Amino acid sequence: MQQSRAHLWFIGPALALMVVILLIPIAIAAGLSLTDYSLGNSGAEFVGLENYEKIFTRSTYEKMFGATFRYVFVVVPLTVGLGLGAAMMIHSLGRIGDIYKTIYFLPVMAALIAMAIVWEFAFHPTIGVVNATLERGCGTILENWAWYAKGCERTFPLWLNDRDYAIWTVSFIGIWQGFGFNMVLYLAGLTSIPPSLYDAAEMDGAQSGWDRFRLVTWPMLGPTTVFVITISFIRTFQVFDMVEAFYPQGGGPSKSVYVMMFAIYEKGIQQNLMGIGAAITVVFLAFVMILTLIQRWFVERRTHYV
Amino acid sequence: MSEAIQDIRATAFRFSTRAALTHIVLTLGALIVLLPFYTMISLSLKAPHEIMQQTGGFMGAQELFRDDFCVKLGNAVQDCMVNPIIYNYTTAFEKAPLLRYLLNGIVVTVSIFVIQVIVALPCAYALAKLRFWGREAVFALVLFCLLIPVHAIALPLYIMLAKLGLTNTYAALVIPWTISVFGIFLMRQFFMTVPDDLIDAARMDGMSEYGIIWQVMLPTAIPALMAFGIFSIVAHWNDYFWPRIVITGNRDLFTPPLGLREFKGDADGDNFGPMMATACIIVTPLIVCFLLAQRRFIEGITLSGMK
Repeated sequence: MQQSRAHLWFIGPALALMVVILLIPIAIAAGLSLTDYSLGNSGAEFVGLENYEKIFTRSTYEKMFGATFRYVFVVVPLTVGLGLGAAMMIHSLGRIGDIYKTIYFLPVMAALIAMAIVWEFAFHPTIGVVNATLERGCGTILENWAWYAKGCERTFPLWLNDRDYAIWTVSFIGIWQGFGFNMVLYLAGLTSIPPSLYDAAEMDGAQSGWDRFRLVTWPMLGPTTVFVITISFIRTFQVFDMVEAFYPQGGGPSKSVYVMMFAIYEKGIQQNLMGIGAAITVVFLAFVMILTLIQRWFVERRTHYV
Repeated sequence: MSEAIQDIRATAFRFSTRAALTHIVLTLGALIVLLPFYTMISLSLKAPHEIMQQTGGFMGAQELFRDDFCVKLGNAVQDCMVNPIIYNYTTAFEKAPLLRYLLNGIVVTVSIFVIQVIVALPCAYALAKLRFWGREAVFALVLFCLLIPVHAIALPLYIMLAKLGLTNTYAALVIPWTISVFGIFLMRQFFMTVPDDLIDAARMDGMSEYGIIWQVMLPTAIPALMAFGIFSIVAHWNDYFWPRIVITGNRDLFTPPLGLREFKGDADGDNFGPMMATACIIVTPLIVCFLLAQRRFIEGITLSGMK
């Protein structure tokens, strides 16, 4: 090709935007996290690592990490597990299975904020469908279950407003919303496994379904699993919509659903404590980047982009 | 021989019971997945008292009921009898400028996508097909930026926009999303597969590099662009976090998720009908598109799986 400067015009805008929108903000966050900056103040004091010290010592932030990790470590395994399970069942059914695929994918498409509001109604202690259904089971064999009997005797949990149940209820909604996404990724992985591998495994004596899964399906899905797990981590870490919709103030009963993105929003935007908000941002970015790098390291052993 | 046939029959039977079990499990799952959709549609059709007393099944009785707000305004009671469906859906549109919100949603998602393509396509082309000094470095930067979730850096972005006086504008809703590193990466991978001969032929014909991008590369990239478009539009139509941060009071700029949230904020418990109607209206466009073009949507949404 002739020597031209065209590439500068092609790369330039993208490069400039990358720097301004993605890289500079990280630098700003890192810088502000060492200060007590508030929007509207002319200057800010340098406070060193005080903000980080707060994050790792104060009980509020202990609750923040508790809620975030509880949510993440419940939602990730279950969305991945359910995604894989659903994918394998649907795959075994052939074309009829497509209808389930469509249904399970619906929550991924629907605006989470809208569905969160519907779930909030469904979990409503008095007029919600969940407790209404549970009450119908009273007086039956289910009462042998101590938890159930207690529910019938007094009331069933308040779910979203009970500090013992809130984070698990929110996690349930997260699983409901997310597993269809993983299912689709796994379905793509399953279709790419050559059937001849199963024949070969059978010839080598793999008789039971479990053997076939252990010897062929699971190893062949390895790369998909690495990817699915990483992307699930990154998506679940960013949970915000539901928490803000259910608990606009304070992050739920006894701050039991005070997840990191909500903390960033509350500290930075609602309370204008940019320093501490920026420090949480930095910690958050560190988590996400480490996770992605681990995934890259797994994948890079197989493929090369350049 | 007959043994073999029996064997096959046995297998067929085993498989059909197993298939039946699979269907049962999957159907139970489907019921749970569909429950909130059912609730949402059902509540958007029913009268307030039916919602509170949990009567009326899916549709409600569709009897006329008294709209207390209308009575309070001083109208005669018989003029204030309304049909639940009509009441819920008209209230959804009247109580808040829902049409305006929907329009904002369209404007924002479409501008984001168009700008993303204008920025990403030339960059991807240069990275894939031009040789120049620093190309590897730029691509390494792209790979690094893929690590950064934009939501996570919302705070510094918000400060920057506030300093520029841009909060509460359309620009604030669009600017952070103008650069899609993922789009660049995706298009670059796609352009790598386009044969060099095609580009050389275009150059022979005297086409400029710009001409090549928009008249040669763009048409070949349509399938990839469609998938990317679906990915981008779904993400930004449903996005709640970012609009929540930069749009603070100006209702004229609300996107659909913000409009719905506002509705919830001042619903005094008994106005579930219109709220659910709003939810239905916001969720429906994407769901309908998805049902019409499922394969493309699934491809688009799971694009990130190609990384």
